[in-house]
Amino acid sequence: MGVGRRDGHRNCREIRLITFDRVSFTYPGADRCAIENISFFIEPGSVTLVTGSLGSGCSTLLLVAAGLAPHLTGGTLVGKAVTLGVEVGAQAAHRQIAGRVGLLLPAPWTQLSGVAFSVADEVAFGPANLGRPRDRIARAVERAMALAGVSHLAERDPTTLSGGELQRVILAGIIALEPEVYLLDEPAVELDPEAADAFYRMLPELAREAAVVLATTDTDRAVEVAARVILLERGRCIAQGTPDGVLGSEKTVSASASTTVAQIAHAAGLSGPFPLTPEALALRFNA
Amino acid sequence: MSVGFVPGSGPLHRAHPFTPLAIAASTAVLAFALPVPFGPMILAGVLLLLVLVERAPVLKPALLTALPFWFFLYVIHGVFGKHPVIALGLSARVFAIVLGFLLALATVHPGRLVDALAERGVPFSFSFLLTATLQAVPRLRARATEILAAQRCRGLRVRGSIWRRAAAVIPLAVPLVLSAVAEVDERAIALEARGMGGVTNRTPLHPPPDSAVQRLIRWGLAAGTVTAIAVRFV
Repeated sequence: MGVGRRDGHRNCREIRLITFDRVSFTYPGADRCAIENISFFIEPGSVTLVTGSLGSGCSTLLLVAAGLAPHLTGGTLVGKAVTLGVEVGAQAAHRQIAGRVGLLLPAPWTQLSGVAFSVADEVAFGPANLGRPRDRIARAVERAMALAGVSHLAERDPTTLSGGELQRVILAGIIALEPEVYLLDEPAVELDPEAADAFYRMLPELAREAAVVLATTDTDRAVEVAARVILLERGRCIAQGTPDGVLGSEKTVSASASTTVAQIAHAAGLSGPFPLTPEALALRFNA
Repeated sequence: MSVGFVPGSGPLHRAHPFTPLAIAASTAVLAFALPVPFGPMILAGVLLLLVLVERAPVLKPALLTALPFWFFLYVIHGVFGKHPVIALGLSARVFAIVLGFLLALATVHPGRLVDALAERGVPFSFSFLLTATLQAVPRLRARATEILAAQRCRGLRVRGSIWRRAAAVIPLAVPLVLSAVAEVDERAIALEARGMGGVTNRTPLHPPPDSAVQRLIRWGLAAGTVTAIAVRFV
């Protein structure tokens, strides 16, 4: 489902899906900003990696972009954050963009609907909430389950699934929403290495029809698909640009915020910019 | 013994969810409106017949639930009040209510109930509350088992005297409650992200079929109940 396909009047190719202009956010009772003075934009068809050490503000950035912070979390938002043309600080902004933004959280068991008794119904939970017609829901569910690799689990009770299966089911539930922007927070944390690889290989397919913003510390896999990287540290954006430019820099690698390959290249005495993938490393050695 | 939905293929399982619920609701009212002792006894007999036809495994839990009530009713009305027939009628009243409730619980699939309610335009938040509570029970039970296993690994002794067992409840209950509370925020965010709380009416995914006969039965039950109340109290 592409944005243009779903609503002819909304041609996302002409707009920035998410724009942050000097955005800061502070949780209630916190003595410092969770994110501070962040500016970036997200364009359609892109995969953007948001990364940084734990507590650097990646998850908060996604919550603000989804319009859920401060509306559900409380707290103070400063600056201008616009998602899909809606200023997220405005009254009931999250309701206006509900279903148009697909937010995936790290813990799958907290995202179970609690009212579905089969995986297929769990996946259909979101589109059904949005009041979509049944035939459209059925198509979206079938496609989402195939993409997430959970078609064989369709009749299972969601409460009996393993963590990895559950995470893929919740992802299918997000895909079934047919969002214009995917906000994925540590989406592969419960997956085994093989399933995680399959998940990352699927991301370009999602990005063909929407933008993908990926918050993860799994930079090894993420750099394979991300076209752009936003690097956060203690809530501040310390660099953004291409993966090679940001994660391959001497400073990032020294701070252990880059890929394993880059760390190895650094330890081996290569000079920056460091290669990020095994293929790039091989090329570098061959050159 | 488990209380809750039990898969089956009897007439009540196949019926629209509102039909078993209407039976349970009208039973609860009729058990008080019909004259003691024969009214509740006939009602309990009808429900027993339904249970047998449905082959729903609710007899044992119903007996276990009703037994303490029967005991006290017999002591109060039979022994002290010298009215054993009244005790019998009141016991039948309790049994009929419990049986009707458990029969509805065993035959109404919560997912079908959600769809039935959504189809009638009932706000989803209401049916969500109902069904999510039912779903939460196995999840909490599983978590309690995990916490108990973890605490036992750390030296908690759960066997022995009643006092020791009672003391073991605290290290189980505190993490159970705290973890459930800690999940609330994330769960609210996840549900909002999946379109819950929106302004549009939820689409029922598998609306259960209804029939003129079932509608007639439900209306008949409602009319019968109102008539019984009128005859009894007016």
